[in-house]
Amino acid sequence: MKINIPFIKHIAELSRIKLSKDELEKFTPQMKTILDSATVVQDVNTEGKQPMKRHIPFSTLREDEAGETLTQDEVLKNAPHKELGFIKVYGKVFGSIEES
Amino acid sequence: MGNDKYDLIVGLEIHIQTKTKSKMFCSCPTGYFHEEPNTHVCPVCLGLPGALPVPNKRAIELCILMGLATKCVIADEIYFDRKHYFYPDLPKGYQISQYKNPICSNGKVELSNSTVEIERIHQEEDVAKSTHHIESGTGLDYSLIDYNKSGVPLIEIVTKPCIRSAQEAKEYATRIRQIARYLNISDADMEKGQMRCEPNISIQEKGKWDYKDGMITAIGDYKLNPKVEIKNIGSITAVEKSIEYEFKRLSEALESAEEIVQQTRGWNADRGITEFQRSKETADDYRYMAEPDIPVIEISQEDIARISEELVELPHEKIVRYKEGYKLSEYDAEVLSAERNVAEFYDKLVEELDKEIKDLPTSAKLASNSITGTIFSWLNEKGISISEADLDLDDLVEWNLALHENEITKSKAEELLKKSLDKGEDLSNLLDVFRTKAKKSAGNIEDIVKDVIKENQNAVEDYKDGKKASLGFLIGQVMQKTQGTADPNEARSILMEELEK
Repeated sequence: MKINIPFIKHIAELSRIKLSKDELEKFTPQMKTILDSATVVQDVNTEGKQPMKRHIPFSTLREDEAGETLTQDEVLKNAPHKELGFIKVYGKVFGSIEES
Repeated sequence: MGNDKYDLIVGLEIHIQTKTKSKMFCSCPTGYFHEEPNTHVCPVCLGLPGALPVPNKRAIELCILMGLATKCVIADEIYFDRKHYFYPDLPKGYQISQYKNPICSNGKVELSNSTVEIERIHQEEDVAKSTHHIESGTGLDYSLIDYNKSGVPLIEIVTKPCIRSAQEAKEYATRIRQIARYLNISDADMEKGQMRCEPNISIQEKGKWDYKDGMITAIGDYKLNPKVEIKNIGSITAVEKSIEYEFKRLSEALESAEEIVQQTRGWNADRGITEFQRSKETADDYRYMAEPDIPVIEISQEDIARISEELVELPHEKIVRYKEGYKLSEYDAEVLSAERNVAEFYDKLVEELDKEIKDLPTSAKLASNSITGTIFSWLNEKGISISEADLDLDDLVEWNLALHENEITKSKAEELLKKSLDKGEDLSNLLDVFRTKAKKSAGNIEDIVKDVIKENQNAVEDYKDGKKASLGFLIGQVMQKTQGTADPNEARSILMEELEK
């Protein structure tokens, strides 16, 4: 993976963050440092090793019972904007990549 | 489908909300339809920091059940992945889904004239509901978000690009909906968003492409045309219509040398057209990663065996049995198998009837006629389903036998059945009353015939002059006088005897 300005710009756009030219120039080497330090783990030889992840049997999963929820007031408490019980978000949702 | 020059190639993605009491990764109740916004939510489905997802066992069972019903291979280990994108309806910034290892893969669905190959069925969670507005006064754009739908279990069923006509896509979507309803996996009501269809469409020049191993490939130096994805389809009819529209649009675009770009379009049901939404020139970048908060879930053969106990005979299997065993027409077989409660009632009626008749095709045909005729039209009229109607199986058996043994004419029988349905009167009693009257009129049918002859001299003259149609009129008069209780064949022979005198 090549960590350069276009790459960081792409990541920023995916996160809906606008970065100025100066910011891109500042953050790109910082991101490179972070990612480079993480690549150390890629040098470890994992040949023939199973991924270390916890396994659980299907039977131990949560049973399908409905439980407690927050109240509408509690849900809206931290919302900067609200209207008619909805959370209100300003701004045009651009470049929609709505998927489900 | 296609035209002289192009073939149509379709793959279908169908999302279905499965029927659970609680959400996919938390215990919030799922029934959000018409509920106050943001009342079915908790820190997990609100995506609050530190909240951990706990998978719902029943949801995964329903996903596996759909896979079993579509002959999929079921994975023995379940992995979840994070699919990242940034949008207000997705509070965590990622959707928990499955990327590399879906729970179900490589299945198939049988249609009347083809088989649709299923590539995968995977488990994921639904997103919140958002509506977009413009603020009066300020003119600012804003969205209103309701998180009640966030985290509702969702399965995605993906076909290979093996569908070749709009009609086939429609039949497939219908079949998937039937299976989901038969197995109580979902009500799959498209108007309520419980089922959503997204066709992927491309058109390719005839003879220039190949379909192999679930992939469309170009032959020689032909360049494949890009795909168009259609969203916002609110009904099964719209699946067919939008594909037909898109085939025509794409053909015309290519013929006028327009460049087609990979894009997403939205179906506008009011105008019957698709509208451009966005181009997809670069591949979506969801930065998938393994979901670290959920362990690997191990599925045993015992688990699968237990889940498969919920399987029942499915519509396409019933159709085969009805056609081959019962000798029903394709149409009757389709209609009777479309809904599980109708099919189950029909099966019971045939079984009971055949204990008396002992000839399966005859019993099956009688039962089919009684359900698809008077009963269906009455149910339609009332707008109710067969399980909501108070139908007595034994009475219907008696009624069908009376018809079978020519005790009663078809029109009289239908009249009694309709009366019983309309007025809630006991069908068996109505039949008894009919029989008593029939017995009475049988005794004096000769007198009635004589009366009819006396009262209809013109018709009698006509008959004697060779106008044979008059006989039908006279029989009708006898039937009227006996209130339909006479045997029309008997009336005919007595009439002819009298007229010869």
